[in-house]
Amino acid sequence: MKKSADVVIVGGGVIGTSIAYYLSKQGIKPILLEKDDLASGSSGACDIDIILQSKNPGIHLQLAMESAKMYTTLADELDFDIEYKTCGGMILIENEEQLKIMKDFVKRQKAIGLNVQLLDLKEASEIQPGLSPLLVGSTYSPQDAHVNPMRLCQAFSRAARRLGAEVCLNTSVVDIKVGKNKVKSVITNRGEIATKIVINAAGAYAPMIGKMVGLSLPIKPRRGQIIVTEPVPKLVMADVLCAKYIVAKYNPKLLEGSDNPETRLGVGLSLSQTHDGQILIGATREFVGYNKNTTHEALRAILRNATRLVPALKSIHVIRSFAGLRPYTPDGLPLLGYVEGIQGFIMAAGHEGDGIALSPVTGRIISDLIVDGKTFMDVSCLCPSRFRSLMKNEKVI
Amino acid sequence: MKTTDIAVIGAGPAGLSCAVEAAKSGARVTVLDENLKPGGQLFKQIHKFFGSREHRAGIRGFRIGQQLLEATERLDVQVLLDAAVYGIYEDRLIAYITDGRDHTIKAKKIVLATGASENALAFPGCTLPGVMGAGAAQTMINVNRVLPGKKIIMVGSGNVGLIVSYQLMQAGADVVALIEAAPKIGGYGVHAGKIRRAGVPIYTSTTIKEVLGEEKVEGVITASLDEKWQHIEDTEKRFEADTVCLAVGLSPLTELAWMAGCEFTFIPPLGGHVPIHDRNMESTLTGVYIAGDITGVEEASSAMEEGRLAGVACAESLGYYNEKQALALKNEIWDRLDALRTGPFGEGRFTAKLKQLEARRQLA
Repeated sequence: MKKSADVVIVGGGVIGTSIAYYLSKQGIKPILLEKDDLASGSSGACDIDIILQSKNPGIHLQLAMESAKMYTTLADELDFDIEYKTCGGMILIENEEQLKIMKDFVKRQKAIGLNVQLLDLKEASEIQPGLSPLLVGSTYSPQDAHVNPMRLCQAFSRAARRLGAEVCLNTSVVDIKVGKNKVKSVITNRGEIATKIVINAAGAYAPMIGKMVGLSLPIKPRRGQIIVTEPVPKLVMADVLCAKYIVAKYNPKLLEGSDNPETRLGVGLSLSQTHDGQILIGATREFVGYNKNTTHEALRAILRNATRLVPALKSIHVIRSFAGLRPYTPDGLPLLGYVEGIQGFIMAAGHEGDGIALSPVTGRIISDLIVDGKTFMDVSCLCPSRFRSLMKNEKVI
Repeated sequence: MKTTDIAVIGAGPAGLSCAVEAAKSGARVTVLDENLKPGGQLFKQIHKFFGSREHRAGIRGFRIGQQLLEATERLDVQVLLDAAVYGIYEDRLIAYITDGRDHTIKAKKIVLATGASENALAFPGCTLPGVMGAGAAQTMINVNRVLPGKKIIMVGSGNVGLIVSYQLMQAGADVVALIEAAPKIGGYGVHAGKIRRAGVPIYTSTTIKEVLGEEKVEGVITASLDEKWQHIEDTEKRFEADTVCLAVGLSPLTELAWMAGCEFTFIPPLGGHVPIHDRNMESTLTGVYIAGDITGVEEASSAMEEGRLAGVACAESLGYYNEKQALALKNEIWDRLDALRTGPFGEGRFTAKLKQLEARRQLA
């Protein structure tokens, strides 16, 4: 491990590795520190979807659309099979009430330029067989895609290393030294690295890194449980979500205190089939601290919801389940950019369930910021200081 | 929600012994097993057990199984069959599948008595129909009464390989050869003598090079091994055979213990990764006990003793026995376990089990 670096990146998930790559591409040789292994956190415990439709119309969707463009050429650029495939995506609509909300959602997304439309049940069933006859219809966008997040981390990391980045696994950050409100060095379990810039890309663990420089970040771990089935012939034709997923994602307050476990656990359908034929069935959105266990109640609720919406899943065997911790933020948007008052400390975390979709664009934005001092798209609304009142860093802010 | 005092997972010798011992104290006990019949491997053990009288030497395995089952009935132990436990969740919630449906039961104490599974061996042709575990062949002949083949090559000369070879002959098969990679026979001399007298050649320092056949096993090519376990050229022998039985050791079935979050240690003589436990058979998780081959591969007699020990310890911690009563019972069991782990075959296990307890002390 080198003793100094221009930039130190903390976190070897889809965000950290992406930043490492885009920085290296611009001639900067960063050191990436990962406490376990690449994709050992949420990037290895999530689904495979790159969904544009689930993003809120506005900066969120704009970011996702920029990222989607980058994805189309990424495998060639990185010279690595990331199992990227455009497969389309749909959001299932169960009743008239949801239809009303989704109509408005789609209208606003279209205005930003997303290719998305509403389908009735017959049209939806032509794309995705096996749907419940009780559904009203669905949305559909041909632009949604898949990627293997673990391969994505590998691809970014390898490409970055080829360009001169150093990737240190099993290396945890113990402390960050700040002097005169400037980042000085990063202390790891394997020694100290002098640097002027530290990027906090530690996902759900970002608050622990933030604490080292006196920040109280508004990021909270939100548990998502996902079920994996045996491999089966092609059955899930697109990324399939349900309208409840959108509600669970953006309105956590609506979920609290419900008697219905599906609602309380924030269950929303997320269905996709991997390259090898296994179907991923998700997911929950729960605030349970850093507990990564699966629970029987949640697995049942996920399956009940999934088989109700897509009865064709009933005859398939479940082989395992896992949980990952999504980095939740109060406004559903990531913290991207320099932190006021601590020169050289950059945030790139808080993507919740959108880290996969937003990985390439985040890498580019952060590397632009460091190299050029400005970004190719305006992301000032994502700057960490929007949470100034929550961050309680009396020393520096 | 279904509840019980003690849930025992696995109805083999360890699980049933545990259930009986715990139920004697008055505790409510539920045994879950994924198979359609209880007894684990006991009902295919038609040979007489070894050891001393208190270990039921001279009694055949399946009779011990019958006695244990009768005791569970007498003591009102609930035995749930066709109940495949797939998960242990927080607060000792057990999830299992019966008849294709999902069920749960919540227990104050859990005893994992899941046993062990047979090791496989990789060689060209190892996936051909006709290549099987020796234990599977034993189940076929002794429980299901189906002869797996007529001309058999047995791989491995531990007690399983030796006993199953003999029983295959009793069932009407021809054991063409028994091969062993080590330079000497692994199991008891008395078992090896029996199959030798029956005319089965035993080849030591020999392994399978390849199994021949298109759709199923048609022949086996063996090769001799040097002292570094490498093939010696030009030592190939060809045997006509339709079945290859692998008796190359067992590995503890530890998935549920991993999932529940038990801490493990690595002890090769016990079969590799084994959950750490204390003198009461309690794992590193409070209220989760382990007994039998999951704690390290031994044999049925010590599995039964470990089961009893876990049963007494669970009953004590639930208040069905006071400390004095429990200690008297545990002392007897500890003595019998020590006796089982003596002699040339038991010494290694004794040392290995000490290491496992040492791992527990180090954690504390």
